Amino acid sequence: MEADAENSLREPETSFRQSVCLPFLLNAQNPDGGWGFHPKSESRAEPTCWALLALRESSTASTEAVARGLQYLRVAQLSDGSWPSTPEQRTGCWVTALCCWALQGTPDAAAARMAGLGWVCNDWPQDSTPWRRFLTRFSPRSQVQPINNAYRGWGWTPGTSSWVEPTSFALIALEARGDVVPSEAKRRRELGEAMLYDRMCPGGGWNCGNPRVYGVPGVPLIIPTVWALIALRQYGTRPENVMSLEWLDGQIGNIQSTGSLALAKICMEMCGGRWPTDAPVLSDLYERNAFLESIQVAAWSCLALCAPFRWLDMTREKPA
Amino acid sequence: MRQHTLIPSFQRPPSKVVIRRVADYEQDLSALIHESLAAFNLPIKGKTILLKPNLVGLDPLGVVNTHPAVIAATRESFLRSGAAQVLIGDGPALDRDTEAIIESGRLREYVGALAAVFVDLNVDEVARVTLKTRASRLKELYLPKTALGVDFLVSMPKLKTHHWAGVTLSLKNMFGIVPGSCYGWPKNVLHWAGIDRAILDINAACRPDFAIVDGIVGMEGDGPTQGTPKASGVLVFGNDPVAVDATCCRVMGLLPEKVRYLSQAGTLLGHLQDANIQQLGEQIARVKTSFAVLPTFRPIVE
Repeated sequence: MEADAENSLREPETSFRQSVCLPFLLNAQNPDGGWGFHPKSESRAEPTCWALLALRESSTASTEAVARGLQYLRVAQLSDGSWPSTPEQRTGCWVTALCCWALQGTPDAAAARMAGLGWVCNDWPQDSTPWRRFLTRFSPRSQVQPINNAYRGWGWTPGTSSWVEPTSFALIALEARGDVVPSEAKRRRELGEAMLYDRMCPGGGWNCGNPRVYGVPGVPLIIPTVWALIALRQYGTRPENVMSLEWLDGQIGNIQSTGSLALAKICMEMCGGRWPTDAPVLSDLYERNAFLESIQVAAWSCLALCAPFRWLDMTREKPA
Repeated sequence: MRQHTLIPSFQRPPSKVVIRRVADYEQDLSALIHESLAAFNLPIKGKTILLKPNLVGLDPLGVVNTHPAVIAATRESFLRSGAAQVLIGDGPALDRDTEAIIESGRLREYVGALAAVFVDLNVDEVARVTLKTRASRLKELYLPKTALGVDFLVSMPKLKTHHWAGVTLSLKNMFGIVPGSCYGWPKNVLHWAGIDRAILDINAACRPDFAIVDGIVGMEGDGPTQGTPKASGVLVFGNDPVAVDATCCRVMGLLPEKVRYLSQAGTLLGHLQDANIQQLGEQIARVKTSFAVLPTFRPIVE
């Protein structure tokens, strides 16, 4: 009876996934195999990754679409193993971690993925070099933003500071889940995990990475909290994780966007949280703004409505 | 593509700024804005216009972002004045969930369906722009094609002090056109390049044609998000973003020539000196409301 009730609750959402989200993604694929951030826009690595992650979880999606998307990613890779955010750029960035993640479990892309992970492991933030840390001791900024720069995560672009979301993406990419990862991955992950815990807002949850500025506690946000909790999900019983999951749980009823709702649902499912029965419904929020035509929001919605939910199933890593 | 030639201040004709007193957001803003725009005889008939408000973060109380009533009334006014299309676009810097930000601020309630009107500049298509001014160490930026391609760009900030830059007005507001999809949330590469200098480079590459500052309720102290709301009761309009920002500083009881990026902007991007600004509407002295600043910015207070 209970299972029936749950299935009937899920039915409209499953139908939303099948009739709206998946067709939206499939129809928006460009002739070059990639996806732009919106239908009919130039292919970029990031939306292509989200679309691929979503389509690969779908038993009904076209395998040909997935193959073409993977091929787009392989072509878009730079010679140093990284991926740029836009095809014209010749420098890689945080998107590299996302591409490695999207290529996981694809045997013929193993070399491309390893080259990407190698780049990720060598991409150190600029704010935490020993020289910078020495200088920071004398900077008034250290009083304004008290954070521990000995913990080193990842920045959005090379040569900048560590932030919560790119660090979370790199940590997820460096999880092996059955594939090989570079030998430096373990050390980078330890530092990155410590950085995330250091940047948690007082009271739980994360924003972009400023837990306190001018003595004022930072206000957490849904999306960085989701990615940090997913990146740290193997420490689910730590007080920081418990507190942050509670913070997220308390926000669900007030979520007003499809993207945040989809990601919160994914996070609660992966981190063992309970999805409230009175939570907003994805298809209802879609009615307001139709994703603002966003490929990534459509992809997150697909992932949130996967059944069975096996996305990012974690296994222990195998060092190279 | 919009192209702007940088004009030294001594060659630039005087700029025009209009200050209007507005008690609250319940007024007939559309009529007031329409009347104010008429003073400028703007070349907007049949043109595509982009309104670039300041959408920083979730704002259920309507005190952080440019108020949706001002955005909607401005859009209506431009359409009434003959614009062919008026888009609204921003790329919030701290949160990638733009839909959550615009929903929390009730933009859809004021403007109507947003799908065909709103452009999330964080994920727009981009074009490479070489930075000619090289005020910062950045040589180029990828900027949204929508911002580069429209006929007329209007910067619409809120009247606020800022914890890193001193004030955030129509020039600083242009940080929001730098796409998060290329540079992240926050757009940290701009901080590393130097906020003051990056403001100059961005505005030199994509200078707003017009500015409308929402000072009906502004923010003082630890802006742009953690400060204290400050009712100032003004809307400030102008055809020169530097002149508008300088005027706003004077309204806030601050010295524009002491705001580092603004004093530098006064050389190539517009007029800073009040002698070169034709001030219409309310006089500054009659609407002046002193804004508190963080201790590091005490030198900019009058």
